[in-house]
Amino acid sequence: MIRFVNVKKLYSHDVVALNNVNLHIKPGEFVSIVGQSGTGKTTLVKTLISEEKIDGGRIVVGGWDITRIKRSEVPVLRRQIGVIFQDFKLLPKKTLLENVAFALQVCGSGRKKINTIAPHVMRIVNLEDKLARYPFEVSGGEQQRVAIARALVHRPKILLADEPTGNLDSINANEIIDLLLRINKFGTTVILVTHNREIVNRLRRRVITIENGQIVSDQAVGKYLL
Amino acid sequence: MLFISLLRAVKFSLQDIIRNIWLSLVIIIILILALFSINLLYTVKVIGQATVSAVKEKIDVSLFLKNDATEEEILALSQRLKSLPGVKNVDYISKDKALAAFTDKHQDNQEIIDALKQLKRNPLSPTLIIKPNSFESIDDLSKRLDALDSPLIESRNFANYKLMLQKIDSITAKVAEAGLLISLIFAVITILVVYNSVRVATYTHRREIAIMRLVGASSWFIKLPFVFSGLIYALVSLGAIVAVYFLFLTVLQPYLEAFFVGYNINLLEHYRENFFTIFATQFVAAALVNIIASLSALRVYSKI
Repeated sequence: MIRFVNVKKLYSHDVVALNNVNLHIKPGEFVSIVGQSGTGKTTLVKTLISEEKIDGGRIVVGGWDITRIKRSEVPVLRRQIGVIFQDFKLLPKKTLLENVAFALQVCGSGRKKINTIAPHVMRIVNLEDKLARYPFEVSGGEQQRVAIARALVHRPKILLADEPTGNLDSINANEIIDLLLRINKFGTTVILVTHNREIVNRLRRRVITIENGQIVSDQAVGKYLL
Repeated sequence: MLFISLLRAVKFSLQDIIRNIWLSLVIIIILILALFSINLLYTVKVIGQATVSAVKEKIDVSLFLKNDATEEEILALSQRLKSLPGVKNVDYISKDKALAAFTDKHQDNQEIIDALKQLKRNPLSPTLIIKPNSFESIDDLSKRLDALDSPLIESRNFANYKLMLQKIDSITAKVAEAGLLISLIFAVITILVVYNSVRVATYTHRREIAIMRLVGASSWFIKLPFVFSGLIYALVSLGAIVAVYFLFLTVLQPYLEAFFVGYNINLLEHYRENFFTIFATQFVAAALVNIIASLSALRVYSKI
């Protein structure tokens, strides 16, 4: 599904974000990527959605070599990879449903399709009763669930979660992780980038540890090592 | 899908204009001011050209004839002159006609009228006024008339029109050059102001643009609302400048007519006749400035 081969990313000649990263993630896996701040976790996410270009090596997603991806192909890639972030990235002047529908609107989907898919994904994240609310009217956990719903509208094969629980209390954080696990059960590959020890240890799934831009550990059923 | 995307881009653009109404108004007012100054410079150019053409049109050469020349001799000379190359028309002003015109012209100057009465005879001589085919042929014509041998001719008036018009041409050219420079300065100021306004607009849209990119919107779809906004700003400012400028010309026209008595300078008519060329050019220019500024701001600030 995802393959990193000797991937190297430099921000300047002496700032190495990723150094010779080799990684293989199979379809349907749930992988946690852990590491301290500034070790290259987010850079890895950015290279995967082609937000950052790599300086060496190769990245293949679902058989598609995205190492030298054209600018015009980037939107196609991003429709195949759902991404959620710590700060939710919702539009404050749109309702929760409109936020989800927006992802379909900007990709040219028809009204009929939007009216079917958007409420459906809101049901998946258990927010069908809050469609008309605005982001500021709901909790952080609910905002993150909207972000997940938005990431799911294109039925992505991969869901990238970059510190999705960073702004949440433990109850909301656990709800989000449970939701990610449910999504993973449907067959979606989930990559969770986090430095939350409790969550990683509770999951008992594959854990990849990054330190100074290098993979220092890759355990099939791992724990938070650092 | 393309049609839906186009419609959505228009919708997003209109939403953006309405949500940031003050910013939109600032951009539109700046465009109106820039277009007004450009039209003003164009008007000066049109007036200059019309004046030079009118002066050229009025240029003629006069042959003053002897007082004792008979009507037949004068008409025969007139026919001879008409056959010369470069001559468009020859007008004969008889002594009586000249006197009537002279009296009419100086009717308010009692001293001249009294002097004329004391003379008790018509002091003016018959005149042949020769109009050249074109301003350019006046030199050759003057030479031919100089070489013309006729006992009827008393004197010839070949004023140095060429030099005078060269001066007018040179002043007009300098005004046009200055106008071009001022227009360029205004264009640069407009580009900078519009660019910075769009930069602010882009900055306020950074979050939305980032989300659009995140969820897989194509870069042309992200750019399209800004392109439409540019077109809408240009269209609205053009509508406003048409209304404002025609009002301005309506007010200006009587003053122009009073100032340029005897010359046919009608700016309103000129603008009506060349409406499409003048305003389509301005629309294209304003839209291009807006769109280029928007796209370049997007490239710099949102990396699209």
